[in-house]
Amino acid sequence: MSVAHVDELDRIELADGFVWRPVRRHFGIRAFGVNAYSAREPGGQVIERHREEELGHEEIYLVLRGRARFTVDGNEHELGPGELVFVRDPSLERGATALDEDTLVLAMGGKPGEPHVVSAWEAMFAAVPAANGGRWDEAIRIHEEALGEQPDHPALLYNLACMEARGGRRLDALLHLQRAIALDEKWRGRALQDPDFTAIRGEPGFPA
Amino acid sequence: MSAGYEVLSIDELERYPSSSSYVLRPLRRRLGFRPFGVNVWVGENQGDEVIETHREPGGTEELYVVLRGTASFTLGEETFDAPVGTLVHAPPGMLRAARAAQDGTTILALGAEAGKAYEPAAWEDFYVAHAHLRAGDPERGRAAYREAIAREPDAWEGAYNAACFEALAGDRDAALAALQRALELDRGQAMKYIAADSDLDSLRDDPRFAELVR
Repeated sequence: MSVAHVDELDRIELADGFVWRPVRRHFGIRAFGVNAYSAREPGGQVIERHREEELGHEEIYLVLRGRARFTVDGNEHELGPGELVFVRDPSLERGATALDEDTLVLAMGGKPGEPHVVSAWEAMFAAVPAANGGRWDEAIRIHEEALGEQPDHPALLYNLACMEARGGRRLDALLHLQRAIALDEKWRGRALQDPDFTAIRGEPGFPA
Repeated sequence: MSAGYEVLSIDELERYPSSSSYVLRPLRRRLGFRPFGVNVWVGENQGDEVIETHREPGGTEELYVVLRGTASFTLGEETFDAPVGTLVHAPPGMLRAARAAQDGTTILALGAEAGKAYEPAAWEDFYVAHAHLRAGDPERGRAAYREAIAREPDAWEGAYNAACFEALAGDRDAALAALQRALELDRGQAMKYIAADSDLDSLRDDPRFAELVR
């Protein structure tokens, strides 16, 4: 599919209240990062508050319609259609709330000097509707596809383990969780508290 | 505001008319954005070109986003109306073009080659250089194209395009020096273009030109 209107893109509501409208994934774009975002309601988050330190991305946020209040590095800017924020410094916190019902923001980003790598969070976001609907096989498949490209991505492995634990694949969940922790120790503490692992927390081999 | 970020409107971008009817508003160059190509193209009057008819060489894929107006878009064999909010993905090699179906039709274009680190394309600087030249300001034009040559001093294309610019600007000595440099860098490639390039016509009666292409 080579042509789509922004209103035809999927609407994936995320926990913080913003709605991901996947552009890159819709078209299968490999060369750059591009996505659209809307809010559940006026006043809601349209760009989540975050920094880009981990990925090292430069990002441009362009308001396509409606109005949005951006907060960047503690400063507020109210922007309308055709206005944009370019965040050069990945360490700066940025986020935006929608001021209109139909506010839509296009986010474009990538890491300078390197070929574009599809961000792992896209698969995690894409799996949300399946997970919310208890369709664990579908959620697992989305993670496995992403791991095909980034097999040692700790967050993807951890999330896959979550989906597998929820979906009753106990052994797979344990193996992927162990692998995630071996790659990045920070996931051990997360796993101890994570309700996704309730079903396997008593299993031998569950990280202590 | 800090140096780490910037806020602007696309209406604040420079406006560079082409030799055809489309207008470039150079977003990437203005921001110094480095991860991939991103620019704004405008057809100011109904019927104007917005995106010139072209195919992208190599593996460059592009995404076009209609920001204002309505474009009559051609992608491959198909032509269709693209109102505000339309996204058009052009895979590498596919023919693409857009005309303004309304005054002020504005399209954002993103592009890069998958699997390769993006380098700013020299065409941006030369496009800007020629726009300054057409507007009667060759010095600003020279400043623009020298940025491209400074980035890639050993690329024959930069020297060749500098020769074209200087020939059009009427600086025959500078044009011939740049042409000599282009031929030194890659004679085979440069010679492919020299014979048919009308930008160089003002040099053809100069014996030094004949000597260079002999």
